[in-house]
Amino acid sequence: MFEYLDIAIDSAIESGAKYSDARVLISKSRSIAAKNGEIENFNENEKIGIGIRALVGSSWGFYSTYNLSNESLKLAGKKSYEIAKASAIVSGKDMPFADVPVIQDSYTTPHNENPFSVSSSDQINLLIESTEKMKKLGSSRAFGRLDFWDTEKWFASSQGHKIYQNIIESGGGISSLSVGDGETQIRSYPQSFGEYRTGGWEVVKSFEFENHIERLAEESQRLLVAPQCPEGTMDLILEGSQLALQIHESVGHAIELDRILGWEAAYAGTSHLELEKLNKHRYGSDLMNIVADATLPGALATFKYDDEGTPAQRVDIVKEGIWTGVLSGRDSAAVAGVDPGGMVRADGFGRLPMVRMTNVGLLPGDSSLEEIIQATDNGIYMETNRSWSIDDIRLNFQFGCEAGWLVKNGKIIDMVKNPTYTGITPEFWGNMDMLSGEDEWVFWGTPNCGKGQPSQIGHTGHPASPARFKNTRIGVRG
Amino acid sequence: MKIWEDLLQDIEKNIPSGAECELKMMHSKSALTRFANSQIHQNVDEESADVFLTLHKDSKTITISTNLTALKNPKDFVSRAIESLNNSPLDKGWAGLPKSSQSFNGLSTIDESTPDERANKVNDFVSQGKKMNAAGYCSSYINNYFVWNTNGLNSSDSSSSAFIDGIFRTESSAGSSHRGGILLSDIEAQQAGSEAAKLATDGENPEDIDPGNYEVILGHEAVSTILVFLGVYGFNAKSKIDGMSPINIDEKQFDDQINLLDTPEDDDSIGFKIDASGSKKRNLEIVKDGVSKTYFHTRRTAKELNTKNTFHELFGWGENFGGIGTNIKLLEGNVPQEEMIKSIKRGIYINEFWYCRVLDPITQVVTGLNRNGSFLIENGKIIKPVGRLRFTQSFMASLAPGNIVSVGDKSRYADSEFGEGMLKVPALHLKEFNFTGGVSG
Repeated sequence: MFEYLDIAIDSAIESGAKYSDARVLISKSRSIAAKNGEIENFNENEKIGIGIRALVGSSWGFYSTYNLSNESLKLAGKKSYEIAKASAIVSGKDMPFADVPVIQDSYTTPHNENPFSVSSSDQINLLIESTEKMKKLGSSRAFGRLDFWDTEKWFASSQGHKIYQNIIESGGGISSLSVGDGETQIRSYPQSFGEYRTGGWEVVKSFEFENHIERLAEESQRLLVAPQCPEGTMDLILEGSQLALQIHESVGHAIELDRILGWEAAYAGTSHLELEKLNKHRYGSDLMNIVADATLPGALATFKYDDEGTPAQRVDIVKEGIWTGVLSGRDSAAVAGVDPGGMVRADGFGRLPMVRMTNVGLLPGDSSLEEIIQATDNGIYMETNRSWSIDDIRLNFQFGCEAGWLVKNGKIIDMVKNPTYTGITPEFWGNMDMLSGEDEWVFWGTPNCGKGQPSQIGHTGHPASPARFKNTRIGVRG
Repeated sequence: MKIWEDLLQDIEKNIPSGAECELKMMHSKSALTRFANSQIHQNVDEESADVFLTLHKDSKTITISTNLTALKNPKDFVSRAIESLNNSPLDKGWAGLPKSSQSFNGLSTIDESTPDERANKVNDFVSQGKKMNAAGYCSSYINNYFVWNTNGLNSSDSSSSAFIDGIFRTESSAGSSHRGGILLSDIEAQQAGSEAAKLATDGENPEDIDPGNYEVILGHEAVSTILVFLGVYGFNAKSKIDGMSPINIDEKQFDDQINLLDTPEDDDSIGFKIDASGSKKRNLEIVKDGVSKTYFHTRRTAKELNTKNTFHELFGWGENFGGIGTNIKLLEGNVPQEEMIKSIKRGIYINEFWYCRVLDPITQVVTGLNRNGSFLIENGKIIKPVGRLRFTQSFMASLAPGNIVSVGDKSRYADSEFGEGMLKVPALHLKEFNFTGGVSG
């Protein structure tokens, strides 16, 4: 494939670009969705194509095509140059581009069983059996889904990069929905929208759906008759997957350097963080230690090189509550004067690489969920995300969870429904006073992070363990 | 288009006997020029050709998809589909293929816009607020869609669309606007820029106000978001089947002034005249004088609910997403926005919502925020810009009988949380809207 890349890159450079890089991808995906013991959707997809970037002066152009004929590859290079040239019609400040080591290497996600080598009937049967059982146990609707991706990626640049990577991702989940009088309640496992990691079929097998079917069916029905989550200011205990989404929304997006620089202002928004406050701004309590680590084996956003050829890294984002790092690429890092973080990825060959969260996780503490509950006099323990909303500077948020449990005097007293909480990012994180340890630290994965125009879906990781947040506003309803 | 004809010929001869088969191809040229900090920083152009093959045999169904390059050998592609078909369970929801009489041919040749033309539109927008920071995009799309099936249906259609969407920012405010149309030349970039610049300027130094129930005027983008949520989660027949839709047909669920249509047959409508199955779409009444009239159906949902298909299958979204209206129009009323403002004793103007998420599907209680232009109105006048507010509000209740004070007299294509070009709407004046939090939480 590298010869295809060379043709396109040479064409861009010959046209007048001062730098060019390109990726050829072979992307395979398999997606299976089931409901009530029947398959609702089974789709297998395979795509091949090239995406090429050209830098002309300070302006970028990107062109992609499915067509890998010689003529088309040459045209792709030329078009990327012409698009970059057109960008200069509305130009501004010079945009520097950071150097990174020129690397020739290859990498494959460690895995036991390639999910595409496993018979699809095994995967289908898992979902049929799981949803059938949940339905028989009283679920109004029992849902299940599995998704697998096998992405082969060849990257080359006019500076001499030649990198091959094969990234394999697997995951899915099951849910029980109960419909009552004018309301629905749902319970999901391992988390809402499924849990995803890098790895093969073994990732899904490790979830052991069969051990959670009864609980999901029972809890979704029990929620229908459960009391409403109380309203008020009290202690909030978050289960790991909800905390993972809290990290994603109120930390992960806020530390994206392209947002901080205003490059996403019109759509995704900006950030409440200002670069002048790096290494000074208090993001949260001393317990808050966040790292962006693209090297964690098995986490969803683990790779060896990003889509600009920069090596994957572990970067401190928040240390003992102080903001210390950002997510960056070669252009944004150069503008901000920081080292390129190797955090630029694209959603397929047809999309422009952009700053993306890697595994942005909260390092574990030294407590446990059991200890946190025992230490709580008046609070709510919330599990599994149901809704999320945050403003465009990542400050004011409101989350809803599938289930809540009233905690009184160190004990779980009662299940409550429609639990929600709201807060302001630094205040909320500043109120984190207990954090579970490594035993409960899970590499949660988010497979549906939307960003960019044209729209891109990113796969991000968020290691987290349960934690407690004091004095949180709980129970907001319309 | 030759690539389609060649593909069809190659696939057709490899289809197993006795199988029902549907072949689709979407050939697209998409371009999007993005600007931030008042300069173009991302500029992309893509050509794609995606192919979907569905086989149904012995009560089993399989869909596999690829693009023209990955397809390589049509015989192998069909063989792969047959292998997967054999591994598949029985498909009780199979609703068959459209008949040949449903065929439609709307294929046409449409000229692409150039990167320079898009950059010039961006320039037109950016130049309207010279001292402010501009960000947004200008996009253009050409899509050619082909569907063939073993019932003899052979449909094709072409569509084009173009949009500009942007904001201006000051130190303390932002204002946005949007335009959409069939061709890039239709797009009034200067006008959109001028509107966005005025909102940003008028919105400087906003003040926080207490949350609570307010009378509101919702701008085009805010109205568009309410309607797209009701379209995707409410009128989608799949939501009804899953027990999660608030919509009940023939019930008066909305105010008398709410008249909602889906108008794929109108000349100014953006998008294809056929749905993903290749069937001709029809104009449809969704809400008539506040009464819900229909769900959006696909073949499968129509079969499951034993009713007529409304031809709302979307290409590439998968069978399990249900039907989506893509040409929704809220009929205009007769009240200019200035008159709406004059009639309000105390209320808020909201230009745009942001990050809206459903808390409860059946009541459509949604939480989200305002942005890009919000103003306090008192005694018939705009008094001051207001800061960020969080609402937690049932979108059904927001349009319920008695809550619509008036409907605006001018509609336009408006952006929404689910993308561009789907809705053409006027502004709305609502009696109550529930804000549950301010900037301090």
